[in-house]
Amino acid sequence: MNILEIKDLYKDFGGLRALNDLSLSIEQGQIFGLIGPNGAGKSTAFNCIAGVYAPSGGEIYFNGEQINGERPWNLCKKGLARTFQIVKPFATKTVLYNVMVATFARTNNRSEAEQKAVEVLESLHFEKKKDLRAGNLTIADRKRLEIARALATEPKLLLLDEVMAGLRPSEVDEMVAIIKQLRTRGITIFVIEHIMRAIMALSDHVVVLHFGQKIAEGAPQQVASDERVIKAYLGDEYVISAG
Amino acid sequence: MTRHTINKFACLLVAILALGLPLVIRSATYLHILILLYFYAYLTSSWNLVGGFAGVLPLGHAAFVGIGAYASTILYLQYGVSPWLGMIMGGVLATIVGILIGLPTFKMRGAYFALATIAFAEGIRVMIENIDKLGPFVINGPRGLQIPPLKLGLGNFMFASKEPYYYIILIMLVAVLLITYSISRSKLGYYLNAGGEEPEAAMALGVNVARAKLIAMAMSSFLTALAGTFYAQFTLYIHPKSVISLDLSFEIAFIALIGGRGSIAGPVLGALLLRPVSDFSRIYFGDTLPGLHLIIFGVVLILVMLYQPRGLQEPLTRLYNKLVDRLVGGKVGEAQNEYS
Repeated sequence: MNILEIKDLYKDFGGLRALNDLSLSIEQGQIFGLIGPNGAGKSTAFNCIAGVYAPSGGEIYFNGEQINGERPWNLCKKGLARTFQIVKPFATKTVLYNVMVATFARTNNRSEAEQKAVEVLESLHFEKKKDLRAGNLTIADRKRLEIARALATEPKLLLLDEVMAGLRPSEVDEMVAIIKQLRTRGITIFVIEHIMRAIMALSDHVVVLHFGQKIAEGAPQQVASDERVIKAYLGDEYVISAG
Repeated sequence: MTRHTINKFACLLVAILALGLPLVIRSATYLHILILLYFYAYLTSSWNLVGGFAGVLPLGHAAFVGIGAYASTILYLQYGVSPWLGMIMGGVLATIVGILIGLPTFKMRGAYFALATIAFAEGIRVMIENIDKLGPFVINGPRGLQIPPLKLGLGNFMFASKEPYYYIILIMLVAVLLITYSISRSKLGYYLNAGGEEPEAAMALGVNVARAKLIAMAMSSFLTALAGTFYAQFTLYIHPKSVISLDLSFEIAFIALIGGRGSIAGPVLGALLLRPVSDFSRIYFGDTLPGLHLIIFGVVLILVMLYQPRGLQEPLTRLYNKLVDRLVGGKVGEAQNEYS
């Protein structure tokens, strides 16, 4: 059974159709990439899946269960976690506090929550910064904190929304390693990313969105050479002169 | 000496001071001022559960004070119910009202929530001011209710001297501080803080923000109503302007904002700083400049918000920690305890 199955999903904002008939299915254990130019509807798709927006139509199945319009906190309990493109740390609180909010999703006991949070931080080599205020972290560390928090809810499926945007190349490599490590723990990963190098290195399967529409799908290399994809990213002229 | 023993010692010192003050202060006026100081510290601590932890700004908590005061007083005057029992019943009633207010308003943000709570509280005040009898209950409109001090004693929550009131409100204050402390360290506390700071992120991490806020509101309104009964028994006379006025709601918020909302010590520090200002300005300028204390509060609030937006508890905690460090022996920069 596919862990996530989306059928004919669409979302309207007023008269604008931000997402149009998107269908895709993610297998257990995959790293699944979603790419597309700015405004293509990638984050809208994530927000529909994660329960922030109610879809205007279509069906979303998580582990075989329909989750259309389910509220975010319930989805989290079911095992679906997400990070935010614009990071949202609890800025006045420490890193440990931030992660403990997430571990409380699986326990009511404070010391158990703290212990689990420390374990998560250790697995990301982040435990040295646990007493720092989240508002004082660098952007790379904030992104890492986003992942730590999402991970701490013990998800089966993790939605990563541009966790590498704004990072230096060396930090991107670190993040790629972290994501690969998450997969070995049995977590399925659905990732939105702009950095092609990273998405090519990571993904098993890629879907390309353009103006809310799926224009290509397949293995990363195959998608990268697709004419429609090049057009979408670089414009018509590039295809003509290249061809 | 270690940090731990110093903290213990400081706590002991405060406890001895609090317990012993009525033995030293023989003046009824000063004791009265102290009782009101604790009363406001208690109110603000109760308010803090919503206004501090949940990150919203309720400005209508006087409504719950009024509900508590009126409920226990009516029950005592008309049915002879002990004010202690009436206190609990007023608390339950306030909880129900608190949830009813919270259900629609917690969806609002920032100023809109504050305005909605003001509207609710004022609505309740105007209602009580204009109703003489509500079914079998005598409310007496703007004239208020007077409790004849005939049957003194602990059972009737009525005393001839101020000392018993002092110890009762002290116990209530310590209890509410312990409650807020344990909530701040519990799942609910984490959820309230998270939901107050970044609701979207909190929801994605499994926090039902609206539910956490409602639970906090229920507890806060219950605790606030208890103080209403205390006030009624302390003054033995309540009227809408004294227990449900906007001034009261605002003063609670002033104390919280200046002391430091969301911290355990903030409400107590705020009350310690502001209550004397308010009392002495009333004593000395009550005739010539009524309302002077509110102007002073305003100025202090602006200064605090400009220079210490997290309230005065932060610099004071830092100062305390530095002092302890000095005593311990120069181990500066050790783990800072936010709730000294």
